[in-house]
Amino acid sequence: MAVYRRGYRRYQGRLTGEWERLMVLPRFAWEGLLQQRLIAILFVLALFWPVGCALFIYLSHHLDLLQGFGGAAGNFFQVNGEFFFVFMNVQSFAAIILSAFAGPSLIAPDLANGALPLYFSRPLTRTTYVLSRMLVLVGVLSPVTWIPGLVLFAMQSGMAGWGWFAENYRFGLAVVGGFFLWILLVSLLAMACSAYVRWRVVAGALVLGLFFILGGAAELANAVLRVDWASALNPARSMEQVWRAMLGLRPLPGPDAWQCAVCLGVMVAVLAVVLSRKLRPVEVVS
Amino acid sequence: MSDAARLRQVWMIARLQLMRVFFSKRSFWVYLLALFPAVIFLGHGVEVKWKRERWGAQKTSEAALQSIRRGDSDEEVLRKAGTPVTDFRSESFRRHRAHMDEGGGSEPERRYMMFFDGANRWDLRFENGILQNKRSRPLNDFDDDRQIYAGVFQYFYLRLAIFFGCLGIFMNLFRGEMLDKTLHYWFLIPVRREVLLAGKYLAGLMASVLIFGMGAVLSFVLMLWPQDAAQLSAFWQAEGAAHLFWYAAAAGLACAGYGSVFLASGLLLRNPIIPAVVILAWESINGILPTLLQKLSVLYYVQALCPTPPPVDANAPLLVRLLSAPAEPPPAAVSVLGVVAVTAVVLWLSARAVRRLEINYGVE
Repeated sequence: MAVYRRGYRRYQGRLTGEWERLMVLPRFAWEGLLQQRLIAILFVLALFWPVGCALFIYLSHHLDLLQGFGGAAGNFFQVNGEFFFVFMNVQSFAAIILSAFAGPSLIAPDLANGALPLYFSRPLTRTTYVLSRMLVLVGVLSPVTWIPGLVLFAMQSGMAGWGWFAENYRFGLAVVGGFFLWILLVSLLAMACSAYVRWRVVAGALVLGLFFILGGAAELANAVLRVDWASALNPARSMEQVWRAMLGLRPLPGPDAWQCAVCLGVMVAVLAVVLSRKLRPVEVVS
Repeated sequence: MSDAARLRQVWMIARLQLMRVFFSKRSFWVYLLALFPAVIFLGHGVEVKWKRERWGAQKTSEAALQSIRRGDSDEEVLRKAGTPVTDFRSESFRRHRAHMDEGGGSEPERRYMMFFDGANRWDLRFENGILQNKRSRPLNDFDDDRQIYAGVFQYFYLRLAIFFGCLGIFMNLFRGEMLDKTLHYWFLIPVRREVLLAGKYLAGLMASVLIFGMGAVLSFVLMLWPQDAAQLSAFWQAEGAAHLFWYAAAAGLACAGYGSVFLASGLLLRNPIIPAVVILAWESINGILPTLLQKLSVLYYVQALCPTPPPVDANAPLLVRLLSAPAEPPPAAVSVLGVVAVTAVVLWLSARAVRRLEINYGVE
């Protein structure tokens, strides 16, 4: 049939649902990410600590294997809030490194190559675009954060019995809830950096640098001004305070969990504003 | 071509590149990093000066404050020392009153007073109207401030600000041009690639030394600003100028060392995060490495130049404190030569790499 005879005909096939559309971008992005050797290596490295923690839980229930160490082993091998806090701390660092490598490739290429109009000419809003890009990071970070955390909690519950679970179910909730908050912050930061600098490699360095520099700057301000409120400006420290409250542990010195939560909320809002300013379907070229 | 002509080429390239390094929009955050400590020290200085002025209006003689003894009543204290700068009753006191009104138990009534004698603040805590605790401390402690400056310089400035600043400046010299797809313009000009590398490195070095050197000097001066004039004068006459010089020199040498490493990384690797993570991790664990390995870092030589050793982090985990065994710092001359030698070797390797560099914008 000649081309000029091809008139417009509406698509007759099945329309995808709104939530289904949300998964289109992550599906392709996950495929691309998992093909990167570096991401795969980091993924594996990030699982070493959970494996070590699982061994710790196993040993805490088989102290007879450690009889040579005497009573000290019993005191050391305790699965409590501090155990989950240390686990979350280490894995949160792994999440930062992973997001620094995986996050910037999500938005920067779309912006650098002027691909946003192509996305937004389809039934995708800016919010759904950001959500679907964030889902990519949620998918990458979950297997190294809350999923192993939940596995550890289930393992401990299974070995310690129903009584332990009923008494400490808040640890499980804290691990899942705390890590979701962390993933939200880290993902938004990675995407905002990616949208802001547009260079994939630079955005990765910026993600990494921001966490370290904000931490250092907060400590500097605390030391010079002889205060402790500046700790709230350190996202990692603020999140630690929130996690400690969720796990029912003694708070760290400095701003309390609510003040830290407010600071984190402000950070999330600022990152969301950066994203909304940078992600525009049209661009004026001067 | 004569060496003089080559040097002129190097200078010409450096001049062209300097404009981009200093005034590019991407350099803005480098200035932020360099000036952040100065801003915080300025804030501290303003706070100290303001307090000294405000509290000075209600000055109490030191003798009167010395005469106050533990066990004195609050009325006696007010009679001896006059009106305090601060006087408040704690929340628990109000709760206590409400509780007592309801016929409850006996939580003590708490009161806090603060006096100022012109140099020291005196904190007095009372329970049920009786002085329980008296403590005096200087409004501003010069030695303490110098120790804090040493910590800020060595933990924040060297390890984070200069590290990430140099990462941004020196990576941008080649990798940035690659990302901007402009490197081929440089390669088309009739100069040897080693000359181009030298020119770009010189520009990065001049910019980073100027920005971070000035940042270190400015924050040092602002740290000194609120200090007592007599102490300050004694400090300048004794060791002040030497301290200032060595801090600036350490900042400059750190820029030279890290700069060469990141310039080479920008030439050899596409992703700057990998060297950044590796070097950052290496420099962070430097203190707990065996002595021989500690010497394989820029920080080891640069820290040795700092006039005051950094304060020990009391909050560091026990394991880290146990493993921490800083190597004996080398003499200043060895430190300078060490960084210069490392820089020279890395630049020589970079020169070899840039000679073989092929542009492939497609893979960026």
